[in-house]
Amino acid sequence: MNRSLIIAAAELRLILRSRLALVGVVTLLLLSAIAAVTSAVQMAETAQARAQAQIETDEQFKAQPNRHPHRMVHYGTYALRPVGPLAAFDPGVDSFTGTVVFLEGHRQNSATFGAARESSDLLRFGQLTPAFVLQTLAPLLLIFLGFATIARERERGSLRALAAHGASARSILGGKAMALGVVALLALAPALVALGWAALRQPHEGGIALLIALAYAGYLAAWVLGIVAVSGIARTSQGALIALIAAWALIVVLVPRAAAGIAGVADPLPSRVDTELAIAADLRRIGDSHNPDDPHFAAFKAETLKKYGVTRTEDLPFNYRGYMAQEGERITSQLFKDYAARADAIRARQSGWLGWAGVLSPALSVRDASMVGAATDLMTHTAFMNAAEAYRFDLVQRLNGLQATAVSGADDAARSKDPLADRRTRISADFWKTMPEFEFNAPSPAARVTVMVPSLLLLGLWIALAFGVLGLAARRMERHGA
Amino acid sequence: MTDYTLAIDNLVVERGSRRIVDGLSLSLAPGEIYALLGGNGAGKSTTLFAILGFLPVSSGTLTVCGHSPAASPDAVRASVAYLPENVALYDHLTARENVDYFLKVADCTRSRADIEQAFASVSLAEAAWDQRAGRFSKGMRQKTAIALALLRNTPLLLLDEPTSGLDPAAAADFHGLLEALSARGVSILMVTHDLLGAADTADRIGLIAGGRIANEWRAQASGPRFDLNTLHDGFAGVK
Repeated sequence: MNRSLIIAAAELRLILRSRLALVGVVTLLLLSAIAAVTSAVQMAETAQARAQAQIETDEQFKAQPNRHPHRMVHYGTYALRPVGPLAAFDPGVDSFTGTVVFLEGHRQNSATFGAARESSDLLRFGQLTPAFVLQTLAPLLLIFLGFATIARERERGSLRALAAHGASARSILGGKAMALGVVALLALAPALVALGWAALRQPHEGGIALLIALAYAGYLAAWVLGIVAVSGIARTSQGALIALIAAWALIVVLVPRAAAGIAGVADPLPSRVDTELAIAADLRRIGDSHNPDDPHFAAFKAETLKKYGVTRTEDLPFNYRGYMAQEGERITSQLFKDYAARADAIRARQSGWLGWAGVLSPALSVRDASMVGAATDLMTHTAFMNAAEAYRFDLVQRLNGLQATAVSGADDAARSKDPLADRRTRISADFWKTMPEFEFNAPSPAARVTVMVPSLLLLGLWIALAFGVLGLAARRMERHGA
Repeated sequence: MTDYTLAIDNLVVERGSRRIVDGLSLSLAPGEIYALLGGNGAGKSTTLFAILGFLPVSSGTLTVCGHSPAASPDAVRASVAYLPENVALYDHLTARENVDYFLKVADCTRSRADIEQAFASVSLAEAAWDQRAGRFSKGMRQKTAIALALLRNTPLLLLDEPTSGLDPAAAADFHGLLEALSARGVSILMVTHDLLGAADTADRIGLIAGGRIANEWRAQASGPRFDLNTLHDGFAGVK
């Protein structure tokens, strides 16, 4: 039998016979399994609740009585971000970005009801999801199981005994890495089942689920190789443990937090309040559709009258108020789009910073690949917000169009004084039923794979680096007679 | 040259800038027991590590059954069984599992009956065969390791302070085992501080000082094997 396999089998036997190691393995397995089950149950409930809420909000909008169309513009509706099949594996930014947007005229609202904002502060420390377990806890438990794998043998003298029996440094390192790899695979197994289950329910997500699984396998492989290499290089078990814990703190905790902080400072995103104030200032500059003396809308009115060859708005073949409301909405929506595009560009640049920080931390790379693959990343959230804004604009303009065509200008002008005119401006509730419903489709698997590529390449680089360190450990062991 | 199991000529081994072994020469014929005596830091263990290929040879020649550790480490290690001062067994494995594991690593296939026979031949109590090594005394560890060496059936056995920590009876048993191995043609190089034990067992005793053999005595065919006074004076003179 191959020497590495013999050594791996012996190492696994040690884990099975060591109460401490066994507790570590069982803890890791339990954590992974509990995370997979609870996350799947929780996300299934969330998905159902959001789908149900979207149906109910659509029904409520369509069930409104006869009304003036502009009342419906302000009545508004809600867009809820649907939950993708892989979100149970990695909810990503879902808990922090908000999931519901109130859609109304003249305003672009932020998403609300982020789980982290709605629940206790503890959630901010990380939900127990398969992604969190694999990114954060699995490396830590692998460290506790593997830090002494070679250093302990060196301290006891059995490393030289192995070498004296013909085991090369490479076969020893290989065997130890295989054994720790089996533990890593065990940790990965419940998550793989969760991904497989999601892929079975949505076969078109199968390929990307496999890619996510490979990304995590690569991430844990890099940890396994690194742990064994450090254990092979360190003079003592204690030294190996200290070095590995420091590496974990740096890679999993410090670099991701610091990178996010640096990205935020280097390219700051204006606050929501600042953005709203800036939009309000721009709106005042461009024009106020409610002010008859506003220069922009005075010019717009003059142009409209000229276009239709009339001198009064009352003589236009449509209700000028609705027509003007469409122009007002077009202007505000364009502003919203411009500001959103600027914010998106800043977020994209910040994501770029974080992406490059993957050079310093494979945890960032795997987190990025995982969220993108599961369609729970910022890109998908931005796509949702853009879809919600496009839907809002379309809905409001349809309602403004109804005001222009289905409500008489004379009744509209008199409705605040004349109850009968007011009644006539209330158009049939049947119109609400013709309005389209909000639909959002996450970026396609192919589009997500394209975005995942840089993170996957960085993970590949980390695996190569871990192999390099393992090679150094082998050379050091050979030089010092194991 | 190739008739010798171990042939060392003018060996130099350095650790960093320090020359630990400096022009050491010795050779072992099949079945010969050689005891290498010397003070701490004289280069005894370093010589063993060089034979095993754990340390590079700076100059001189060193071959085990005609193979150089630098050029053919696998061939050398297949020809050598090594017993360190503190026998490194795995505490979580039984004596049988320890031996089985090391045999597999050394690519030796031995049956269960072979292993039990080896245990019996080194007088390891039967109750200990399936006991975890964590509970073993030093003597039991030594016996397990010797059983392993017997099973590997290598032409050369390297021993580093094999009797340190053993009670006199266990040490006497151990020397008996070495004689049995020698009778089977196994060459034994033993590094030790135990002058009396060496005189009792060895065919030759070499005194190492300054990294080379400073003096060497050969066992007499008749009468006392060695003149203990001469050995003692020689040993005291270089310490």
